[in-house]
Amino acid sequence: MPFSSVYNLPPNDADSNQMSWLSAKTLRRGRPVTDSGFNPYEMAQAQFDSGAEVLGLDRGAREILRVPLREYQFSIPIRMDDGSVGVYRGFRVQHNDARGPCKGGIRFHPAETIDTVRALAMWMTWKCAVVDIPLGGGKGGVVCDPHNLSMREQEQICRGWVRQLAKNVGPVTDIPAPDVMTSSQHMLWMLDEFEHICGGHYPGFITGKPVGMGGSLGRTEATGYGVIFTLREALRELGIDPDKTTASVQGFGNVAQFAIELYQQIGGKVICVSCWDQADQQAYSFSNPEGIDLKALKGITNRFGDIDKAKAKELGCEILDGEAWLGQDADILIPAALENQITGENVERISKKVKIIAEGANGPTTPEADHAIQSRDIFVIPDFLANAGGVTCSYFEQVQSNANYYWEKDDVLSRLDLKMTAAFAAVSELSRKRKLYMRDAAYVIAVDRVAQACRDRGWV
Amino acid sequence: MPQKIPVLSVTDIPRFDRHFFGGEHVISRIGGGAIGGKASGLAFADTVLQKNLPGGSYQGITVSIPRFVVIGTDVFDAFLERNDLGEVAQSDTSDDRIGMAFQRAEFPAEFAGDLRGLVSTVHAPLAVRSSSMLEDAMYEPFAGVYGTKMIPNNQPDTDTRYRKLIDAIKFVYASTFFRGAKSYLSITRQGTAQEKMAVIIQEVVGLRHRDRFYPNVSGVGRSYNFYPVGHAQPEEGVVDLALGLGKTIVDGGRVWTYSPAFPQAGPPFTTGEMLSNTQTDFWAVNMGKPPTFDPMKETEYLIKADIKDAESDDSIRLAASTYQPQNDRIVMGTGADGPRILNFGPLLQLHEVPFNDLVTMLLQSCQQALDVPVEIEFAVTTDRTSEGYSVRFGFLQVRPMVVSSATVDITDDELEGDRSLLASERTMGNGVVDNLTDIIYVKPDLFGKEHTRTVAAEIDELSKRISDDSRGYVLIGFGRWGSSDPWLGIPVDWGSIGGARVIVEATLPDMDVELSQGSHFFHNITSLQIPYLCVRHSNRFKIDWLWLESQPIVAETKFVRHVRLAAPLTVKIDGRGRKGVILR
Repeated sequence: MPFSSVYNLPPNDADSNQMSWLSAKTLRRGRPVTDSGFNPYEMAQAQFDSGAEVLGLDRGAREILRVPLREYQFSIPIRMDDGSVGVYRGFRVQHNDARGPCKGGIRFHPAETIDTVRALAMWMTWKCAVVDIPLGGGKGGVVCDPHNLSMREQEQICRGWVRQLAKNVGPVTDIPAPDVMTSSQHMLWMLDEFEHICGGHYPGFITGKPVGMGGSLGRTEATGYGVIFTLREALRELGIDPDKTTASVQGFGNVAQFAIELYQQIGGKVICVSCWDQADQQAYSFSNPEGIDLKALKGITNRFGDIDKAKAKELGCEILDGEAWLGQDADILIPAALENQITGENVERISKKVKIIAEGANGPTTPEADHAIQSRDIFVIPDFLANAGGVTCSYFEQVQSNANYYWEKDDVLSRLDLKMTAAFAAVSELSRKRKLYMRDAAYVIAVDRVAQACRDRGWV
Repeated sequence: MPQKIPVLSVTDIPRFDRHFFGGEHVISRIGGGAIGGKASGLAFADTVLQKNLPGGSYQGITVSIPRFVVIGTDVFDAFLERNDLGEVAQSDTSDDRIGMAFQRAEFPAEFAGDLRGLVSTVHAPLAVRSSSMLEDAMYEPFAGVYGTKMIPNNQPDTDTRYRKLIDAIKFVYASTFFRGAKSYLSITRQGTAQEKMAVIIQEVVGLRHRDRFYPNVSGVGRSYNFYPVGHAQPEEGVVDLALGLGKTIVDGGRVWTYSPAFPQAGPPFTTGEMLSNTQTDFWAVNMGKPPTFDPMKETEYLIKADIKDAESDDSIRLAASTYQPQNDRIVMGTGADGPRILNFGPLLQLHEVPFNDLVTMLLQSCQQALDVPVEIEFAVTTDRTSEGYSVRFGFLQVRPMVVSSATVDITDDELEGDRSLLASERTMGNGVVDNLTDIIYVKPDLFGKEHTRTVAAEIDELSKRISDDSRGYVLIGFGRWGSSDPWLGIPVDWGSIGGARVIVEATLPDMDVELSQGSHFFHNITSLQIPYLCVRHSNRFKIDWLWLESQPIVAETKFVRHVRLAAPLTVKIDGRGRKGVILR
């Protein structure tokens, strides 16, 4: 099985806006992660095996990286609002901490399984490694559906989760973050419980906190901007002037909006965006060959983030089907919404003009589509590189929290730029040198870095 | 109108690749939009060098423009727009308030990475200079109007260097809207609303000596001399030299002036005058203990050091001569004990370094390329080696000068007749002005050297009032206008006197100094074609103070008076004969 073809459904970290939106869609559509007929952990392992083959990893390194270092499974009993007792199953998986404390989100999901959490923890290890931040990979979760829980009940779960794990997580061991259906509020409850147990202030225990309560400026922009920092470098490498490019974007959430903002600022023109419509339960594409007006479009969204179709027409947009974003005559495609959006069925819709795909979302491309894209020689910036701006900024938040000194926004974003640019340059260089597909090159770099850390520590 | 320096499109300049010294390009850019006048001048200077000195060397002297990155005007636009700074920028609030609003604002994120990348690899001082659009479009000099900041950039951590660089850029942006700039633009009938600012980040040419970083020589050369002395002709040009950063020259401080045709002949000073007019201190970048945090201060990271410090740095060997009181002679070099005179004798007279030949060649080449007289700026380091000197000549700027060609005849009757309010045989400019009815003058009876700072403040106040009415005026005062040394003249900045259409620089027995002979400040005057007259109290032409006192007063402060005449004055300047007269 080719290394790239097994890639699917990767993790994300610490992007509460994006993830809550994403998870809500996933739930609404009745397609929780484990219902899609595959085991993500097995997939992650197969993916690792392919990378290990390319690298020629020794047996010891393979064995230690193929499975998590530590796993915690526990029950969280809480008193429900009606007086009854609810018991929820909680997890924390620490896949590898050779490069630094584990980092990964906490998911509240009714279909959560230990294998999903294991896979996502492993992916976090690679994601942190590819952008070269000194963190390992972890992930946590609770099997619950927050839609059916009051805020008080959710608070109980948060505090219960921390009580179970307080000895095994912390600023120097494992740093949680918001993820599917958890937000900055959940993080603050967890932080409060942790500090209560430890008897001090430890803002570096958790990331995704609000600004002013230990959060970092620039966090909102980080993932979207990170996508464009890597896109900018790709354009530079291909000798394409951003001023002369057009892009089509899937999604109009946090990541997409900031990606569009920065892309327009560097001179590009966005000719199409797609957006989910809550009322119609389907997505639409909003096309305007003259370029969409981001500010105006943001001004006509409702509380779910859906764009008002009638008003969009008045702004000069043509309303097309949800998949039309993919078929636009653009130079760049930026899938920045859901996973599995570019598939074997629709990959042929991609215009011959497209030169770059920058994956802002997690796992937007199925293996079959990925194969087709690779054969068409389209330059792909793989998701766990392109959207690593989120976790990189979470790392910055943790650094600031540990120091209890907070940076200016341009400090954060300029550091992010350097990190993302350096990560892109390393992946791209390896891709050229070893004639590897960009996605494969990113995995090879990540796995190699972690394996090297294990060797350096004398583990293998 | 002189030929303009070719305006480069932003696309002609490669993007900054985050390698400042190690990068492929000497000139690169961050962002888009325009690059402004100063950056265009530098790019043109580079072209002149490549054409005339393709190897980057002139008889052993390394010649180049110092590396620089220009931040395009798009970044300025984004900074203003995203931080909603338009209102405060255009308001008449104080410079400090505007500056602080700019300091608090966020720098556009998409360009911040490039700047962090820049400082992460550079640990040497950087000059952050303005390069404005109007400077380019109007073809007028803005020297001294907008801020420039030198930063030591030697802090051990990247974060501090980055923050200081960003602060300096914001300071330059803010200076676009400072009162001096607004006043200047209103005089030139432009508004700051049309102004856009590019910023140059440039390597500072110099050497480090303990806590000081400075060049051995800074200079301004002009291919046309408004004040030729002795055998020198106007077309042979003039060069000002100073030790340390060029700020000494820009500020109208004590410098050494010579004609490139006669490098061995200095100004017509007696030995005593030479001693009292020689440079005694110099500007350097402070590489030592961090100064008090003050992002609003242009000289935050500069220090003024004594010539003795330079001597202990061993950096005046080619610049200094020594006065020997026992025989009242000046001996070249610093071999003997005695007061030092910075006449650059060893550099200009010993031919150890073909410095003057290089300056002459550059002035000629630039004049030829632009087909008009030019002004150039440079900084030179001379590092002693076992084989002599390793000399680096940093070519910092080239810009055209304005020289009027109209013929003006002034008769002796006009010079000495009853209609003459004042006359001069040392003038700048050329032409006739006959529409001025207002005069702002410093009262001679109350003036004293110790009051120059107060006088400057009072002139600023009266000048602002009159500028608000869009009236021009004749300005009369004592000593060097704009001198940074309050004992040598009235320390006004250009914004304070920018409304003057005619400027008179006079002496008094109490202020008997050598009057200013061209500086950056006076480049503004000449390029705006403002006639300038020099009147020494000891010369045959006097100022009719009694008549002035009898004119109707519009406003008056303790030391300064503003009068308005019933009929306009006629100001005539004969540029070729260097004579001038103001007729009432």
